[in-house]
Parts: sequence; structure tokens; C-alpha cells
Amino acid sequence: MKRFVRSTEMTLLVIGLVFFVGLVIASGGDLLAANSIRVLLQFLAVPVLIGLAQMVVLAVGQLNLAVGAIGGFAAAAMGVLMADHGVPVPLALLIGFLLAGAAGLLNGVLVVLTRINGFIVTLATMTILLGVQYRLVGTRTVDAYPQGLKTFGSAALFGVVPWIFVVALIVAALLALLLKRTVPGRQLLASGGNPIAARLSGISNDRSVIVAHALSGAILGVAAILTVASSPGVNKSIGGDWLLPSFAAPIIGGALLTGGSAVVLGTVLAAFIVRFVDTARAEFSLEPSWVNFVVGAVVLGSVVLGQVRARRQERRAVVKAPDAAVAGGVS
Amino acid sequence: MTLFEASEIVKVFPGVRALDGVTLTLEAGSVHALLGENGAGKSTLIKVITGLYRPDGGRLLMDGREMSFGSPHESAAAGIGVVHQERNLIPGFTVGENILLQKLPTSRGLVDRAAIRSEAARWLAELELDIDPDQPVTELSVAQAQLVEIAKALSVESRVLLLDEPTASITPNEAALLFRVVEKLKDDGRAILFVSHKLEEVFQICDTVTVLRDGASVLSGGALADLTRDEVVDLMVGRVHEALSLPERAVDTAVPPILELRGVGTASGHADVDLSVRPGEIVGLYGLVGAGRSELAKALLGLDRITAGEVRVRGEAVKIRTVRDALRNHKIGYVTENRKEEGVFLEQPITRNIAVTIWDRLRKVLGYVPAKVETAMVTSYVEQLGIRIASPSQLAGTLSGGNQQKISLAKWLAAQTEILIIDEPTVGIDVRTKDAFHTLIWDLAANGLAILLITSDLPEMITLADRVVVMRDHRIRGELPNNHDYDQMSQQVIRLIHAEGTTAA
Repeated sequence: MKRFVRSTEMTLLVIGLVFFVGLVIASGGDLLAANSIRVLLQFLAVPVLIGLAQMVVLAVGQLNLAVGAIGGFAAAAMGVLMADHGVPVPLALLIGFLLAGAAGLLNGVLVVLTRINGFIVTLATMTILLGVQYRLVGTRTVDAYPQGLKTFGSAALFGVVPWIFVVALIVAALLALLLKRTVPGRQLLASGGNPIAARLSGISNDRSVIVAHALSGAILGVAAILTVASSPGVNKSIGGDWLLPSFAAPIIGGALLTGGSAVVLGTVLAAFIVRFVDTARAEFSLEPSWVNFVVGAVVLGSVVLGQVRARRQERRAVVKAPDAAVAGGVS
Repeated sequence: MTLFEASEIVKVFPGVRALDGVTLTLEAGSVHALLGENGAGKSTLIKVITGLYRPDGGRLLMDGREMSFGSPHESAAAGIGVVHQERNLIPGFTVGENILLQKLPTSRGLVDRAAIRSEAARWLAELELDIDPDQPVTELSVAQAQLVEIAKALSVESRVLLLDEPTASITPNEAALLFRVVEKLKDDGRAILFVSHKLEEVFQICDTVTVLRDGASVLSGGALADLTRDEVVDLMVGRVHEALSLPERAVDTAVPPILELRGVGTASGHADVDLSVRPGEIVGLYGLVGAGRSELAKALLGLDRITAGEVRVRGEAVKIRTVRDALRNHKIGYVTENRKEEGVFLEQPITRNIAVTIWDRLRKVLGYVPAKVETAMVTSYVEQLGIRIASPSQLAGTLSGGNQQKISLAKWLAAQTEILIIDEPTVGIDVRTKDAFHTLIWDLAANGLAILLITSDLPEMITLADRVVVMRDHRIRGELPNNHDYDQMSQQVIRLIHAEGTTAA
């Protein structure tokens, strides 16, 4: 419990709550109306997922530049299948989801097989998939798919909590369970935390990298489904603005760029804070460019904060270590 | 009873026969030492036994049955536990998870935390360790982490335990704890292989010994009781190893100190540090790991804040803010302790590694450094220090540890430093290279360099230093003139180290 109080998650929770209360006061209470909450959460579902998709590859010590391209490509594929080829909704969504997962898997396999840096590999697949997405939808906006899906996209539990947000939370919970409580998840984090130690413990780092990228793709598949369901239509620009938020959420959430950290809750909370910045902009009718400015500053600030914290912890460990060793050694 | 046997093991790498007919036998209830100089094949042998390398010849036998290990997983399953030289814990994980990492217990598809706790507690209890399985490993001291690794090695139900230089980074006190654990495991009937560079430890806790030289076992399973320290060293180096004899070297005590610390305190906790070094003098700064010696050196170079007292260089009080300042304006150089992390650019050629401190001097118009000038300058130092290289453009990472260390020394000589701080110069370096290094340091002092030698190696200190300064808990505990008499000096130094007035809280 003491550990949680001092954790990044706790800090984010406090910042988020303060921010929210501030916004509620500034809006004169309007923000508490069911409709306002619904809109707030509606636009949170996809950012949460793309943050998680990046977080899971950061956890293994990799990164994924293709988050937007995978999501956009999968969304385009689903739209085209339903609108142009009349494929039934569930089947089209399943195919899109599998395509996204396969694209992630391909990233992982390429990184492992070629030993080329993940930055380059995902940069390449990003470019390729952007091409495919454009090939699929061109300059059109594909929107001739069944109304049922769009209804789901805007439906909300008790009229307050959008279903797509519920889906995002379920994915987050499953991912947390996977990373913290299953063997492949623990192995993934072990590979990210100390690859040499992991290898010497009989863990395949290659498999961990592939699993992380495949998971990232699968999460993006879900994000694509939610996007298709909640947008008026699918076009070539879907996914185009995902890359920066995908890094912002896990980094603000406390993920280590060197790997080994699983910060599902932190990523979700950070997505909330980024969303609040956007809400504040709307509330005070500021220029949209301010949002990017603020988010960028917060990302930098949280990295600096993380470093300060690590250094302080290091110093404490150094001072304590020699005595602790003798006191707590063999009893 | 023979538990494990490696017989006539051969391992070939392109261009090298790393192992050429090595035989090693481990008995139940016995501690077996594996000795050999750097490059003799110890690490390769361990990697073969643990399934990281496949042998090109020979047989591995467990309980007399022939085994073949394709991965660390398979050797662990056969009951071989290993504590590798590298630190081997996953930072974000708990003690329990680290111990059981090789085989996390599950129930209904999920990692079973209760089982981890109780299983890990069982292994910690086996080692009589008072550590909470739920504690994050980042909160452990180095020695505790080392013991947790042993628990991890045991957790595969191992009957054979390989310890690869387990005492390299812990203090003698902590090593004593480790040895108690080793004794216990031995009494429980396990077979233990102990790899170390420290012969004192080997004679203290091992029963039998195998000595490797140039990839072959020159002694296999000899009883240590029948051997003397000198005999073991002779087997390792392959010739009769004579005690190093150094020429006379006198320090002119009339010359004022070139470096002087008066009542220095630092942000990392030093207080009242008085220390002086004359030109041509070697001052040994002795202390245990964690005593604050490297930290003091770093503060001198401006890498940490000096909060009290004054530092005088050539008689003048100075404030050194950066390493660049120390080098340029005060001619102070620092040969770091961790050559791989701090001393050498492994992916860069030797030329650049040495010339890095003097590019300003070598550069011509627009900062261009002619390769010819660089190579000529570098070659002279390579010859002077006897660095064995194929060509100056060879990558530093391809050199042996001893030669890498010489390169990190050469760059400071090239910069024409007059004060040299040398930090643990021979850790992990074999006996022969060590002697060469000692002669080198001696000669540098004879040529007028002022040397502050930081070391935890008592024989090294007593061989080289003119004066020995002992540090503990970031304070100077005493200063002794060195009479080079090992028995007498070591007693005095150890007494200072363990003197009354422990300030640790």
C-alpha cells in the first residue's frame, strides 16, 4: 500500500482528479451532465487502446511506429469489406482484427529474424501499410456499412458510459492480467527488464518480442473496430494522428523506455489527463494548437520527473546498501 | 560419489579451440574449484555445462548417464543450477518471482502468487536467509541479490551448483555469509563448482581443484590440501611464477605535494578527508567496496559536489568543475574502474580510444584530424605499454580485458597528465597481465607521475604503494608508510579497516 501511495499511478490519479474538479468548476457544473460525461468517455476509448498498444512493445524494450498505420489499415479493410463487398459485420470485424494482429506479428517476426532495430522495421511496415490503406479507400470516405454497428458505436451503458469505452477498459484489464499474472506476460517483462538474465533463465527473448508486437497489433485491431463503429465513416486519414498520443500515454504513465515496466493503469490514467487537456481547450475556446503544446510539455515533464525520481532512489539505495547487506543477510 | 562429469570436452570457435579436452568431475558433498587465467576457458566450460553452447566433442554425464543440453532450460531440468557472473535478476520483479523465474508456478492458467511466496520462502529458508519473497529486488543490497541468485539456482531442484565468481562484487564480510551458505549446501550433499580469481577464498572453502590452461585441464580434481598457493599459480600460468621484483624507486619527500586535499567533504557523504600525493609517489587508497573511494575520485574530477574543505593542485586552491577542466587546466587523469562501461569505446578502433583525450592537440584546420598523425601518436603508446594488437584500427572490443585496461590508461598518458587516479586496475585480470600492469604503474611513478591508486586488492596495494591510506564509511581511518612486508602490512591495514567507531547507522 505504501508503495502505491508513492507510485506514478497515485500521482496521476491526484493530478487527474484535481484537473477534473477544476474543469467541473470552470464549466459551472455542466461537465457533470450525463451527456458531457458520455462525450468525454466516448473520445477516450481509442486513445486508451493505442496507448496500451505502444505500452506493450515498450515493455519488452521495443517501440512501434506503425500503430496508426496498423489501426488505419485494419479500419479501412473492415470498411471496404462491409461497404463494397457486403461481408457480414461480425466477419468483417474479425478479419480486420486478425489483419491487425498479423501485421503486429509480422513486425515482431521481422525484428527477430533480421535483427534490424525495431525503429527501422516498424517505420518500414508503417510506410507499407499507409500505402495499402490509401489503396483500399483512396480519397473516398467509406460509410455505407450497416447502421447496427454505428448504433453500437454511439450507445452508452445507462446513457452515461459508452460501450466502446467499456470495451477499452476490458482490453486494459485483460492486458493487465496477462502481463502480471500469466507466464508469457511475466516472460515478456523479464525479457524487457533484463534480457541477459531472461535468456540465462531459459526464457526466449525472441518469443517475448514477437508476443509483444503481436499483442500490440491485436490491441490496435480492437482500436480499429471501435473507430469504425464510432466514426461517421472510414477514410485515408484514420490513424494518421495516433502516433504521438500512443507514446504520450505510456510515457506519462511511467513506462520505462528501456523496457521491463507494465503500466496499464498509468497508461489509462495518462490518457484521461490528455483528454482533459482537450476538454479544457473546448471549455475555454482556446486554439487547438495549445493542446499539442501542453501534451508535449507534460510528456517532457513526466520524463524529467521520472529521472529525478530514479536518481533519488539510486542515491537512497547506495547509502543504505552496505549496512542492509549485513543486517538482512544470513540470520 | 560422482554426481556430474564433463569428459574430454572440446569446443571450437572460428579460429580458436576454446576448449580442447577438458575433464571436470564434481562429487556430492564437495566444493570444487575451477581455476585458470582469463581466456583459459572457464566461462566457455560453464556455458557448455549449462547448455548455452553445444560442445563439439566430449561427453556430459549426470549420475553416469550421458546428457545433451540444447538450452539452459534442459540443464536446469537435469538438476544443474548456476549463478552466472553477470547480475541476473529482473529489476521490476519481486524476490519470489526472480527465484522461480525459470519455472513460474501456475494455477488455472494464471501465475500463482501464493505458490510463489511459499515456494520461494522455502528456498530462502533453505539458505537461512531472512528476506521477504514479496520484496522488489531493486531494494536488495548487492550481497543479498547474490544470495537470492543462489536461491534461484537451487529452485530447479539442483544437485549440482555452479558459482561463477560469486564474490567479485561483494565485500569480505558479505563473502563470509556466502561461504557459510556454500558450506551448508555442501553438507546437504550437493556438488558445488566454485570459480574465482581469489586464491585465498579457494583455499578457504574448496576441497578439490581443476586448473585450466589454454583450453585444456592441466590438473583435474586434485586435492587442495596437497597443494600450495604457489603450486596452483604455477599450474595456472604454466611456468614457475616468481614474485614480482621491482627496481628501487625513491620518493623525494622534500618536493611539495602536487595534489592535496584538506578537510574535504562531498555531497556523497565524505567528511574531513586529508590526502596528499607528491610527484613520483604512489599513494594507495585502500578500503572495502562501498567505502567511498571511487566517489572521492569522482568528486575530485568535478563529477560530484565538494561541499567542504579545499583541494590544492600544485600549491594552489582550485575548484574543478568538469573532467575537461581537470584534464586541461590541472593535468589530472582518471583511469576508471569499470573499463567496459566507463573506460573504453568498445565499438571504436584503438586509435580513437587513445586519441580521444588529445584531439584538440592533434587537430588541424577546421577540426580535421589526420589519420596518419593519430596513428603515429597511438603506435608510440601501444609500444610503450606493450599492448598486444593486430593493428591500430582494430576495434577495442576485440581485445582482452588486460589490453583494454592498458588502452584506457594510454589515453591519459597521451594527454600528458601529471596526476593519475587509477581505480581498481587489475580486477578480473589474470596473474601474468597483472604483473605487467604493476610494473607499468611503477615505471610511471619512477618517471615522475603522481599516482593515486584505488584498490581492494591487498597484495597489489602492498606491492605498489609508497603510503597506504585507509578509507571506511567515507572517512580516512589512518595512514601507514608501506614497508612492503605483506604479513605486517596486511595486519595493520585490516586492523584499521575494522577499528572501533563504526559510524554506520
